[in-house]
Amino acid sequence: MRDVLLTAIRGIGFGSIYAMLAVGFVVIYKSSRVISFAQPALMLAGAVLVSYLAGPIGFYGAVLVAALAIAALGLGVERATIRPMIGRPVFVIAIITLGLDIAIRVVVNAFIGSDVRNVGDPWGLSAVDVFGLPVQERYIAMVLVLVVTVGALFAFFQYSRYGLAMRAASLDQETAMVQGVSVGAMMALSWAIAGGLAAVAGAFVGAGGGIEQNTWIIALKALPAIIIGGLDSVGGAVIGGLLVGLVESFFATYQGEYLPWLGQNFSLVSPYVLLLVVLLVRPYGIFGTREVERV
Amino acid sequence: MSRTTMRRRVAAASLAGVAVLAAGCRGGGEDPADGGGDAAGSVATDIGVTSEPCPEAVNQDTGCIYLGTLSDLTVGPFAPLGPSIVEGQKAFWNRVNTEGGIEGYEVNVTEYVRDNQYNPQVTNQVYREIKPDVLGLAQSLGSPPTASIVDDLTAENIVTAPAGWTSLYLFQDIIVESGASYCAEAMNGVDYAVGEYGAKSVMSVHLAGDFGGDAAAGVKVAADANGIEFTNVETTSGTDNQAAAISQILSQKPDLVVVSTGPADMATIVGQTVAQGFQGRFLGSSPTWNSALLKSPAAPALQAKYQLMAPWGPWDADTAGHEAARTALAGVTTPNESYISGWIWSYPMLAALKAAVESGDLTREGLATAASELTEVDFEGILPEGSGNYAGGPNEAASRTTVISNVDPTATTGVTVAEEALAGPTATEYDFTGPCYEEVDLG
Repeated sequence: MRDVLLTAIRGIGFGSIYAMLAVGFVVIYKSSRVISFAQPALMLAGAVLVSYLAGPIGFYGAVLVAALAIAALGLGVERATIRPMIGRPVFVIAIITLGLDIAIRVVVNAFIGSDVRNVGDPWGLSAVDVFGLPVQERYIAMVLVLVVTVGALFAFFQYSRYGLAMRAASLDQETAMVQGVSVGAMMALSWAIAGGLAAVAGAFVGAGGGIEQNTWIIALKALPAIIIGGLDSVGGAVIGGLLVGLVESFFATYQGEYLPWLGQNFSLVSPYVLLLVVLLVRPYGIFGTREVERV
Repeated sequence: MSRTTMRRRVAAASLAGVAVLAAGCRGGGEDPADGGGDAAGSVATDIGVTSEPCPEAVNQDTGCIYLGTLSDLTVGPFAPLGPSIVEGQKAFWNRVNTEGGIEGYEVNVTEYVRDNQYNPQVTNQVYREIKPDVLGLAQSLGSPPTASIVDDLTAENIVTAPAGWTSLYLFQDIIVESGASYCAEAMNGVDYAVGEYGAKSVMSVHLAGDFGGDAAAGVKVAADANGIEFTNVETTSGTDNQAAAISQILSQKPDLVVVSTGPADMATIVGQTVAQGFQGRFLGSSPTWNSALLKSPAAPALQAKYQLMAPWGPWDADTAGHEAARTALAGVTTPNESYISGWIWSYPMLAALKAAVESGDLTREGLATAASELTEVDFEGILPEGSGNYAGGPNEAASRTTVISNVDPTATTGVTVAEEALAGPTATEYDFTGPCYEEVDLG
């Protein structure tokens, strides 16, 4: 039972990171119907910034500054490269985001160099005793940061004018424009939010182990999460991320023992198996909006 | 169009034509593809050698030998290491040129540096770009990228220095490898741990393929030879992907874990397992170390439980070659082992070039013949005497010594030598009949 609980805690910890990244993907998708493949680069950029700033201003200050800086970067990227493409096929814009991802990573890699960079998190590999279980502090921090950021985001969407405007623009852009909502500004804001979330996620990805040039790959685990949760559902992204973390963690711990015939490292495939199962039952994801087609 | 304009255009076209003809008639030599002249007087040359001096030549009276470089410089998995390796080899050849070159030739390794992105398709493309202009390759990083061009390298006699230690290179005659393979290194590591720590069980945690698979094969061979229990755990790169390996280590509790991953993954595995009470020892293949890990949360665990295996000593090692490398690389602000590796991988190419010039045949074929006839390479004390015997086949070419290093925060690159030139009985007696990762069944 102890191992099961520890496995679950680890899954929820990493799942919180996937969830934060997934929310970023969904926020951009809702505003522009584009899946932004630049999210991994923004995550890495945020983590690198934290690794440089944590020394001078401390980890928490570094995370805040990095979130704001990467949000600004997201804003700039949207304004310079995505906005001019409005009206073009979303496939083209998605490919542009792929190019952006590579370009940003090449620049960021120069700041990482050959080293593993420590993000300066205060937890390291320390554990605290929770009801007799040695729970790693960083997993607790990961869950807390998810609760805080996503809670703030829900409040923003629910209670602020801009949040309302973003929701309106994502529902129907033309109607929102008629009501005086600047759809372009809402798209820019979505990129900023996604950038900020990616930066925070990046900092926590590096907690306990550091970051290197290949750390960006972790962000791709948000992709099955957003499909599982539903592409246009922020809540779905959170649930999807947590499910991916849990499934991966349980397969990593127990598959070798109970399902050895699946081969080694099946845990990496497990989120995609879950994705297939979910899509068979709910083709639009657990919380995704069912598309209405007129025939 | 007016008649005057027409006349001007005809005149301009005629002038251009004359210029092209004049360029065509000019004596060759500046274009490396021309084969150039013969700076040494009686040396035959063809491609990648010019009688004109190298760009930024130390001595303007020398000819130039152009060597290409295909390295992972931007987005591939070894991009953190590629630029340092390139700098290391640049320092090596700069020293050769500064000390007078090779019998009237200097060597240029900077004109034809290309990013292979660790991608076979990209490698093939950039290789085709530089192929007409280079005599050989000073570096081809990664065995999958190298495999994509190795047939052509062989057909065209383009001698190539690799950046890696897979045992596959022992069976590719056009490749002039240096140092023990991951496979032999792992054999030595297991022999060492059995003798030093009395290990009775070993687990190989490794990436798939020619690196991790090669090391795992070595672990298996040595485990069988020593009669100890062997467990095979294949993992994938990514610190978030090590949970399965960590679970296996914690549940099976082997005496020794040989880790063959990247540095961050290794630190995750060691840090997490030690934090959860694992008492066994860790040995890491050569690519597992990075001095920045000393600042990571895993540092105390690494200092207590981890040792590095490598084909040669680290940055601070006490050999003439290391001393020369340190001097040449004095301007490097953050030293790492890749600089040293870039330096050391260049020795066989230097030996082959010297032999080719001495034989009077610096054509590609001449260089390939010279390389294949080398019976020893002077590694300036970095590798034992007798290393670099490419004339006798894979078993003679195979280096079988390993340096074991301890984590030491006071050392320049965070490791100091614990055991020099270790050649365990398993590696010494092993018969290389094919790449280890293809020959050995991991069970």
